[in-house]
Amino acid sequence: MTTDDLLATPGDTATRTPVQLGAPLSLEGLSRTYGATRALDHFSLNVQPGEFVALLGPSGCGKTTALRMVAGFDRPDTGQILVDGVDVSRIPAQKRDMGMVFQSYSLFPNMSARDNVAFGLRLRRQKGASRRQRANDLLELVGLAEHTTKYPHQLSGGQQQRVALARALAIEPRVLLLDEPLSALDAKVRAELRDQIRALQQRLTITTLFVTHDQEEALSMADRVCVMDRGRVEQIATPAELYAHPASAFVAEFVGVSSRVPVDRRGSAIILFDRSVAIRGSAPAQEVIALDALLRPEDIVVHPDTMGAGVVQHRNFLGATTRLEVGFADVVIKTDVRSSESDRFEVGTRVTLELAAHDVLVTPRRVPAPAPAQD
Amino acid sequence: MTQAEIGDFFLTDALAPAHSAPPRASTRVRRRPRWGRGAILLIVALYFIVPIYAALDFSLQNIQGQFSFSPLTQITAQPGFASAVGLSFRLSIVTLVIEMLLMVPTVIYVHLRLPRFRRVMEVITILPIVIPPIVLILGVLQAARPYQWISSSPYLLAAVYVVLAMPFVYRSLDSGLGALDLKILVEASRSLGAGWIATMWRVLIPNLRSALLSASVLTLALVFGEFTMAQLDLWTTVPVWIYNSSSTNPHVVTAVAMMFLIAMWLVLTIIVSLDRTHRRAKG
Repeated sequence: MTTDDLLATPGDTATRTPVQLGAPLSLEGLSRTYGATRALDHFSLNVQPGEFVALLGPSGCGKTTALRMVAGFDRPDTGQILVDGVDVSRIPAQKRDMGMVFQSYSLFPNMSARDNVAFGLRLRRQKGASRRQRANDLLELVGLAEHTTKYPHQLSGGQQQRVALARALAIEPRVLLLDEPLSALDAKVRAELRDQIRALQQRLTITTLFVTHDQEEALSMADRVCVMDRGRVEQIATPAELYAHPASAFVAEFVGVSSRVPVDRRGSAIILFDRSVAIRGSAPAQEVIALDALLRPEDIVVHPDTMGAGVVQHRNFLGATTRLEVGFADVVIKTDVRSSESDRFEVGTRVTLELAAHDVLVTPRRVPAPAPAQD
Repeated sequence: MTQAEIGDFFLTDALAPAHSAPPRASTRVRRRPRWGRGAILLIVALYFIVPIYAALDFSLQNIQGQFSFSPLTQITAQPGFASAVGLSFRLSIVTLVIEMLLMVPTVIYVHLRLPRFRRVMEVITILPIVIPPIVLILGVLQAARPYQWISSSPYLLAAVYVVLAMPFVYRSLDSGLGALDLKILVEASRSLGAGWIATMWRVLIPNLRSALLSASVLTLALVFGEFTMAQLDLWTTVPVWIYNSSSTNPHVVTAVAMMFLIAMWLVLTIIVSLDRTHRRAKG
C-alpha cells in the first residue's frame, strides 16, 4: 500500500483490496548484557503483520533495549531478529527500512516540516515534485497541512511528534517503532495523539512495536501487550486478558491497581472475607501456605456499616469514580465508588467490604521489609 | 510595547504598592547610577582604540610625516607582497580543509560514542597553547627533516597550523554539538536510510553552521597572523613580510597591517550577518 492509496477518498478505498504494509516480526531469544546488568534475558516475541504490540514495563526492564535492537541501534549478544523471515540482526540501521518515532523531539532543526518528511524519500532518490507532493500528503494525513513550511522550533511538541510520525511513515517502513513518543506531551495532546496513532496504524495495517511505561497507553492502543520485567517476558496477551487474567503477581500489580491481602490457604482455595474463594490461574505449590490475594478495586463492593471492621482512611477523587482506602487491623484495601455516591464514605466512616469476584489471583506472601533501626 | 516599557512595567509592578505613584516615577527612583559602568567601558574602549588609531594615523602619513594616502596606494607595488599574500591564503585554505576534515568527524565521534573522553580531549586540545610555538616548530622541523618532500614544502606550515588552531576549532565545535540532541538526530537520520556521510552532510553540518563559521574565522585569523613558525621555517607569509619590510617602509607596512585588520573585521561581520539572516529566515 502506498501513501497515495492511503490518501484516497473513502469511496476509492472501499473498492480496493486492502494490502498489508507491515511485515511479520519475530524476536527469538534476544539477550544483551551491559557490564554486570542483564538488559535482555532470552527475550522472545512474535508480532503478526499489521499487529500493534506494546512493550510495557517499568524503567530498566529492557523494553527500549529490545526496540533499539529491532531498529538496528544495538546488537544482541545472542538471538535473532527476523523480519519477514529474514534475520536482520547484523544489518545496519539504515538498511532495515524501519520507521521510528523517538521519545524526545527528533526533527532535523535545519529542515521545514515538509523537508523532514521528505528526507527519507530524498535518500531513496524519489523525484523532487513527487517527493514534495507525498510529503505534503502525509502532513495532511496527520493534520498538519497548514504547517508544511514551518521549522521544528515553530511547532508545538504534539505537532513535532506528528511530523515525526509522518516522516517515519513516508518511507513505507516494514515495521513502525514507537519509543515512548507521547511521554513528553501534556495529557490532552497525549490523548489526542494516542487516538490518532492508533487510527493511522489500523488504517495502514502496519506492523507496530510500541514502547511505553504507561499502562493506560498500552492497554488502550495495542492489539497485544507484552509486559516485561528484568529483561524477560512476564506475559503477552490482549489488554483485556492481561487485565482480567494476569499471569503473575508482577503483572497484576503493574497493570491496573491491586491491594495485597494476606490469606490462608485451604487446599485449592483461600479464605477471604470469611468466604472460600477459588485461586485464579496456576496456584503456588501446595506447601506454600501463606499467600497474598491480589484484589482489584472493582472486585470489591463497599457498604457503610456502623458495625463494620473497616474504616475509610483516605479518599482520592478521580473524576467519575472516587478511590477509597479502607483500613483494617493489618491491611489497607483500595476500592472504587461512583463519585456521586462518595458522600456516604467520608474519611472515618465504618464500612464492610464484599468480594464481587468468584476467583482471585494469589501469590506467595510478601515478607514486609524490616523497619529501620532507631537510635 | 517596547522593551523598555515591558521592563518598566515589571519593575513597577513588583516594587510599587497598590495605588501608588505612576510607574515611570517609580522606575526613575530605582535606577542605579551608571557612571561606574561607563568609566570601565571607556577604559576598555581606549585600550583597544588608541593603538588602532595610532596605527591608522601612522599608515596615512608619507615619509615626511604629512597626511597622505600614498602608503595605501603603494601596497600592491611592494616587492614580495603579492607572493606573501598568496602563500598565506593558500596556507589558510589548506589548514582550514585539513582542520575540518580532521576535527568535525572526531568531535562528533567523541560526543556520540566516547562522551567520557571529552575531558581528555579538552586537555589534549589545550596542549598547542601550553607548548611554546618555538618548541613546537623546532620539533616539527627536526621530525620532518628526513622527508624532503614535506620539509621543503610550505605546506608543512599548514600541518603545524592545524595543530595550533585545534584548541579554537575544538571548543567551537564542542559548544555547537552540545546545543544539539546529537544521538537522537543521528539515529533518526539512520533510521530513515541515511548512512554516515549523508547524516553528516545533510543533518549535522547544517546544524553546526554557526560553530563551523566561527571555527573557520578563528583559523583564518590564526594563519594570517602567525609569525614565529613561518619565520623559523623560512617561508615569507604576510606576517613575515611585514616584519621584513618594517625597517624599509614602515608607513606602507602599517597600512598593510591595518588593511588586514579591516579585512578580517569585514569577513567576520559578513559571516555573522549571513548567519543572522539565515536564522531569521527560519523564523
